[in-house]
Amino acid sequence: MKTALQVIHWLFVLTMPILLVGVVNRTKSWWAARKGPRILQFAYDLQRLLGKRPVESTTATPLFRAGAYVVLVSAVVAAGMAPILGQFAPIQFSHDFIVVAYTLGLARIALMISAMDVGSSFEGMGTAREAAFSTYAEPALFLLIGAASAATGMTSFADLIGHLHNTPYYGVVVAPLVLTLLILLQAEAARVPVDDPLTHLELTMIHEVMILDHSGPELAAMQFAAAMKMTLYAGLIAALVNPFNPLTSPVACVLASLGLMLSVAVAVGCVESLTARLPMRWVTRYLLIASTAALGCMVVVGLGAGN
Amino acid sequence: MNQLILAVLALVFGAGLCLLNVDNRVRAALGLLSQAVAMVLVWSVAVPVLMGGPEVSGGISWAYPIGAIHFRLDALGAFFLSWSLPMTLLGSVYAVGYLQKYFSGPRHVGVHFSLLNMVALSFVLVYTGDEVVSFLFGWEVAALAAWQLVIWDYTNSKVRFAGFNYLVSTHVGLLFLVAALMILYTHGQSWAFGDIGRWMSHHPGTLRNVVFLLLVTSFGLKSAFFPFHSWLPRAHAAAPAHVSALMSGVIHKAGLYALLRFTLLAGKPDEWMGWFLIAFSVTSAVIGALYTVGQRDLKRLLGYSSTENVGIAGIGFGVGCLGLSWNSPALVALGFGGGLLHVLNHAFFKCQLFYAAGCVYQIKHVIDMERLGGLFKLMPVTAVCFVVGGVAISALPPFNGFASEFMIYSGLFSNASMGIWAKLTLGLVAAALAFVGAVSALSITRAFGVIFLGNARDPRLPEAHEASRWMLVPMGLHALGTVVLGVAPIVGFAVVATPVSLFMQGMPAAVAAGTLDGVVGTLSRIGMISGVLVAVIAAVLWLRSRFTTLSPDRNQTWGCGYDLPNTRMQYTGAGFSTDFSQHFRNVMVLLKRQKAPAGYFPRDSYVITDCVDAVERRLYNVIDHGDDTAVELSAKMREDDPRLAFSAGLAAIVIIASLVLLAEGALR
Repeated sequence: MKTALQVIHWLFVLTMPILLVGVVNRTKSWWAARKGPRILQFAYDLQRLLGKRPVESTTATPLFRAGAYVVLVSAVVAAGMAPILGQFAPIQFSHDFIVVAYTLGLARIALMISAMDVGSSFEGMGTAREAAFSTYAEPALFLLIGAASAATGMTSFADLIGHLHNTPYYGVVVAPLVLTLLILLQAEAARVPVDDPLTHLELTMIHEVMILDHSGPELAAMQFAAAMKMTLYAGLIAALVNPFNPLTSPVACVLASLGLMLSVAVAVGCVESLTARLPMRWVTRYLLIASTAALGCMVVVGLGAGN
Repeated sequence: MNQLILAVLALVFGAGLCLLNVDNRVRAALGLLSQAVAMVLVWSVAVPVLMGGPEVSGGISWAYPIGAIHFRLDALGAFFLSWSLPMTLLGSVYAVGYLQKYFSGPRHVGVHFSLLNMVALSFVLVYTGDEVVSFLFGWEVAALAAWQLVIWDYTNSKVRFAGFNYLVSTHVGLLFLVAALMILYTHGQSWAFGDIGRWMSHHPGTLRNVVFLLLVTSFGLKSAFFPFHSWLPRAHAAAPAHVSALMSGVIHKAGLYALLRFTLLAGKPDEWMGWFLIAFSVTSAVIGALYTVGQRDLKRLLGYSSTENVGIAGIGFGVGCLGLSWNSPALVALGFGGGLLHVLNHAFFKCQLFYAAGCVYQIKHVIDMERLGGLFKLMPVTAVCFVVGGVAISALPPFNGFASEFMIYSGLFSNASMGIWAKLTLGLVAAALAFVGAVSALSITRAFGVIFLGNARDPRLPEAHEASRWMLVPMGLHALGTVVLGVAPIVGFAVVATPVSLFMQGMPAAVAAGTLDGVVGTLSRIGMISGVLVAVIAAVLWLRSRFTTLSPDRNQTWGCGYDLPNTRMQYTGAGFSTDFSQHFRNVMVLLKRQKAPAGYFPRDSYVITDCVDAVERRLYNVIDHGDDTAVELSAKMREDDPRLAFSAGLAAIVIIASLVLLAEGALR
């Protein structure tokens, strides 16, 4: 049973990034009344990139290439610890959420170092923004965990999210927590309104400008890792909403999780179609909404326990 | 015990030999040799104690007024001693490379090595002293030796000022310490730590709270907690690299040691002390981290990051104090264990970063990041050591900083029984710690990216090359420690476990052992994940290098269509941090001097942004004002005015009377 869940978890981790990117793009083209790319187009893109001989800057050091794979491996390891199916993760131990957050942090610093490595006049801009915005995003995740930990008294990520369903606060806190995670998804996976993956105006980019000099397999690694981060956060949202427990009703849980993750992708696509990206100076305020929502949940838990 | 006395003698004797009238090389060799001997001697005592052996104690009788001097080496002292001496030795080895050019000159280098010996000596005295006199004596030896070491380049008036600033600050701290110890003496009726502890653990109340605040202020000044840090960036920027490294990584840990020693003496601290320590430390960590963002001078940046890291360790100690007052073994183990492990880890990676900065400075004679760049290719060993230290200082896996911060986080998110609001407050502290981690990742990426990556910015600087082996080897050993303690954090915890169990003496032995085992279990998971990360990344990179058909073509950096980029067009440190600093301009004072281009053919234009220390600025403002006020007052007053003499006399009587009352315990 556990083995089956593990296999499904890893299958999700490895295939959902492609599917989710496809669904987001399809949603966007539906709003624009276009036919849109194939659902699996991202997989073909990756395949094309993997066969391409890359061009590297003459300024680049060995860290440049290593960075891309550090990003990829860290994202995969983090996804192995994230409970995307609900109260279950293949690698689960007490306080594993700290490892998830910090492994993603390793991915981020590797990405930033690769970007600085080519001595470009543009990529530093994206790096500075990524670094500055992450200082706003990181506390939000820990506030969310703080609220869940105070509500459930559990210590592992999967148990936190799983047991939250059984607490009396669930009905009140689920909406703000989903909002927090959705904003974090937009920040971490470089989606509108924090960042626009399609714009090719360097001055407004964050993630895309950092990988301007990447090409071939390294670009594939970077793009797959970004999609992986989106999967991770979409999975967390799904687990938070998912009414089924994977340990008691696995089939229903996996199906619900699949459906919920795809709907998160549709939601991301809808947001991207209907809103423009925010001006840079507003992004920090937008990210503060995530922290405020999580902080509100903490207050709810505190007041609820007092009564 | 005899080995400790021998070690002290070896260090003193070595310090004397360094001053002999022989060649500089011989002097340095004598210094290193005596330190190595002392290190082996100290290890032979400290390691058994650290592995759970019995405490070592002894005494020497001395004439009045000192009386008997007592030494006692318990696990806490043994922990600090076991790495302080080797790291001082490594710093001295580094000094051989760093001061190389002076060896053949007329300058007496022996003095410097002799002072390094005195620093090592002060560790033996402070970490083994069992009564106030030898403790304070060691404390003072460390302060004076560090001051002398800082002003190595004394011909420069800025360096002299930085040294003087440090000297004054450390003695202001000493005043607080002496005040606290005097109160303790009047009540314990003894200079021995044991008697002081007996009084402290049995008399909670206002007076103990006053003592606690005085001690925290003093140790805060020693370890450069915010807002007592203002001497630190100056001193670190002025001192030679190995001295900065030793001060930041090793010498100032004495403040944290003393904090722990007195916590241990106090037995069961009040709950507010834990919260106070946490609040104090969080402030330090957050503000220290924010200040690292704006710095141009790499060594100043690293100095501020010390303030940040003692804050992180302090959060752990605060959690531990809460655990003591709530009787929760898990919080004690995670809090004190995490804090102590962070102290050790910080010593490893901070020295390593300072050594890397020193390598850069020695070759380039400049430490301003806006003038450097592209050093990775010319100094690969230094650059790799710097980036390893940088990832570790940002508390990211797979290096050691992560393991200790993980323990502190686990303490903050523990499932120990406590009030819901206490739990939520600790959650907030964790969020603050996450913020600190992200900010230090920002500033370390900025420093590393601007200095080591990209292209050289200033062609007028000397061509870079790798520094001498004397400098690379100590740096490499520190880097090795950073990696090993990251991949195998159990090794670090094994060193920390015995001192932590000192704090759990009041708890049932089985519970304490069970808690420690639980921590070891989690830490081994962390080590495993770090190991997996390292192994998988290495495997993927190896696989990638096998695909030679995909080995890259080389071309210039993509400039978005612009074909003639020059090295001045790279992203600068100021450009990197300005966006972020703008959000915190209330905390960070950014001074901008600029000359805008004017006219049709502008010739000279510049923008210089400096991040100055708000506390220091405020301090000097107040002092300046204080001067003015005093001058004004004295101009108004006539010296023969009887009212003046009367009021001064009254003030003196009030102060003396209140001191007497305080000593008599009127406050109780």
